[in-house]
Amino acid sequence: MWKGAGGLSARGLAEAQDDLGLQRGGGAGFEYTRLSANLLCDDLEAAFALYAKVLLEAHLHDNDLEPLLELSRQDLLSLEDSPPDKLFAELRQRFYSSGHRDPVQGTFQTLESLTPDIVRTLRTKHTPQGATLALAGTFDWKEVQRLAQKYFGGWSGPQVDLDPVTLEPQFSGHLEQDSHQTHLALQYAGVHPSSSDWYAFILAINVLSGNSSSRLFAEVREKRGLAYSVSASSELMGPLGFLSAYAGTTPERAEETLSVLRAEIETLYRGVNADELERSRISLLSSLIQSGESARARCGSLGRDYGWYGRTRTLEEVEKALRGVTLEQVNTFLEGHPFENPSILTLGKSAVSQGVAVMG
Amino acid sequence: MKLETGFDFVTLENGLSVLGEAQPQARSVAVGYFVRTGARDEGPLEGGLSHFLEHMAFKGDARVDALELNRRFDALGASVNAFTGEEVTAYHAATLPEHAPELLELLTGLLRPALRPEDFEMEKSVILEEIEMYDDMPESRLFDLLRPQFYGGHPLGNSVLGSRSSVAALTPQAMLEYHTRRYSPNNVVLAFAGKYDWEALLEQVRSLTSSWTPQTVGCTHPAFVSRSSVHIVPDESLSRALMGMMFPGFSSADPQRLASSVLAEILGGENGRLHWALLDTGLADEASFSHQDGDGLGHFEGFLSCDLERAAQCLEIYDRVLEQIVREGVTEAELRRAKNKLAVGVALRDDTPYPRLFALGLEYLYTAQLVSTEQMVRQVRSVTQGEVNALLEEKPFAVRALTALGRVEALEGHFNVKD
Repeated sequence: MWKGAGGLSARGLAEAQDDLGLQRGGGAGFEYTRLSANLLCDDLEAAFALYAKVLLEAHLHDNDLEPLLELSRQDLLSLEDSPPDKLFAELRQRFYSSGHRDPVQGTFQTLESLTPDIVRTLRTKHTPQGATLALAGTFDWKEVQRLAQKYFGGWSGPQVDLDPVTLEPQFSGHLEQDSHQTHLALQYAGVHPSSSDWYAFILAINVLSGNSSSRLFAEVREKRGLAYSVSASSELMGPLGFLSAYAGTTPERAEETLSVLRAEIETLYRGVNADELERSRISLLSSLIQSGESARARCGSLGRDYGWYGRTRTLEEVEKALRGVTLEQVNTFLEGHPFENPSILTLGKSAVSQGVAVMG
Repeated sequence: MKLETGFDFVTLENGLSVLGEAQPQARSVAVGYFVRTGARDEGPLEGGLSHFLEHMAFKGDARVDALELNRRFDALGASVNAFTGEEVTAYHAATLPEHAPELLELLTGLLRPALRPEDFEMEKSVILEEIEMYDDMPESRLFDLLRPQFYGGHPLGNSVLGSRSSVAALTPQAMLEYHTRRYSPNNVVLAFAGKYDWEALLEQVRSLTSSWTPQTVGCTHPAFVSRSSVHIVPDESLSRALMGMMFPGFSSADPQRLASSVLAEILGGENGRLHWALLDTGLADEASFSHQDGDGLGHFEGFLSCDLERAAQCLEIYDRVLEQIVREGVTEAELRRAKNKLAVGVALRDDTPYPRLFALGLEYLYTAQLVSTEQMVRQVRSVTQGEVNALLEEKPFAVRALTALGRVEALEGHFNVKD
């Protein structure tokens, strides 16, 4: 789309963008494509005009495709040289049975068969039914409505159904690669933001990882010195949520690191204590307030909220929800979701035995 | 004292500089200690010591151990972190204004760590893991090789992480000695940005640092003569060819550093000449160019990633882009756009406390100036075509250190080693 639109060449689009000093963001993801911009308040109409061209009037010329296929192919090759990225790409390949398994760049096979016509057909999925325009910062709402109507009012097209997310059965495996560290990844069923358990889930994950006193950092790094990088986070795909964890360590310590990683996640599902929950809550509230200071972060949250809930949440609403979760609710949630059969993939010089769980 | 420019600033009797910029719209406060020390200040047997010390700071002071310290930071909802570079070590955190006094106390404690031997050994294994982790990142391997190649024996070529053997050989005694030598209050800047009570924090920091005693802190600036070099490094594990380049640049005290940043944007920005020559055409997947100004010296840095069999072709195009801009200068239109992009970027970035803290603290550390966002925007906008072209007339890319990383049989022979 940025290769030319509305009568402007790729260079013309880039120059129009720089004339505004507009900072461009976004890109294609697994489920949606995002076009974002960070700009000065006075340039709103010019930005609307520019983005309307890109979104509605992309040229998609035949000869624009080849260089982009080249870039995607090279991106895929670069994955091979980055062990953690390769590990998670391979994990997705084994975790999802739907199209969500492939990298966003495609695969070497899909790139081979991609034609300008296929791209133009895909482009018809960009319709206003399912598209969200979010703004945060200083603006006049009436003016925004006028601009939206002026630039996007004529946009039409049917609702496009998304492919359902389907999963492969649980697995564990190892990929041999001559890397310095052995990289460990684990993925397990979690919770989606639309669930009433969402806040309990993210509070619990934050007890596990995300803070200096979180369990993984304390047990894997501080007490045992097993890894520099160890983390767990929520991962979302379609209507599903997961817990995803990672650690990188030297091959001779991979066994112990995986054992401690597994044991800590298993222990989490047996409950958290009141002090841990409070620290987790304070850290999430603090991040929430800090994200509210940044128009860019706030804009991203609004867009995501609308996708998840069909409405936006105020900072106060999220704050109230986080404050409202009790220790009992978190522990009831954790007890109801025992940690069983995570999918595990490792990458490195030699295989890591998967089965042993040593309690820390 | 409240300065007319909108900054708070004072130098304490012990030499510690304390500065702040209140942001009326802020709902949080960012706090940072910036220490003028890093890899360049390490002796021959101290490789990796600055960075190791930064890790040890989080192991607690005489009163609290690491786990308790972590719990206290977390109880404030403080996102705390640190980084070590060639010239600066920084400890920083952000929290809600009501927690600022507790946060300041904890952060200040980081600068006077206990350095317990048992913590030292445990953290050494974490750092050795960190070295291994970076070794799994090809771009990091590349620049680890390129930096000493460009800087030769100059301390700016020192590695921040150190090597496995240099880190393994470090001792708590050496660290204590380094700490005493480098963490003198007159070598440290404390900065605040966001919403804070200046008078109250100032009184607190006076009390917290009353036992800190200043001493003479040096920084060596040995003579540096850059030389061209080409280094092809076999890396059989790589499926790509990676090339890094360094060229002499300008120091942070040099007025030409601004023109250098604008020039770097014209070459390496999203709409830069390298983008159109190498990325828009699909020849390479990365082609970047930037300028880093430092204490007394600076450099331009380039990076190129492409297919092995295209390495020579892409490098030739990269070189041609540099040659052309030196020969023809920059156009008024590209200069205007690059400046606009940079200026708006600065204005948008500095809107929130955390990014503002780094701009404020680092600028003061390097230039002893308090520069407002508006001043910085004006400075960027004031760069003229004449200034950039005058810089280009000095033939800034005539000397180049190049490192190429990849499968050697694919690289050798493709390179016409002219240096």
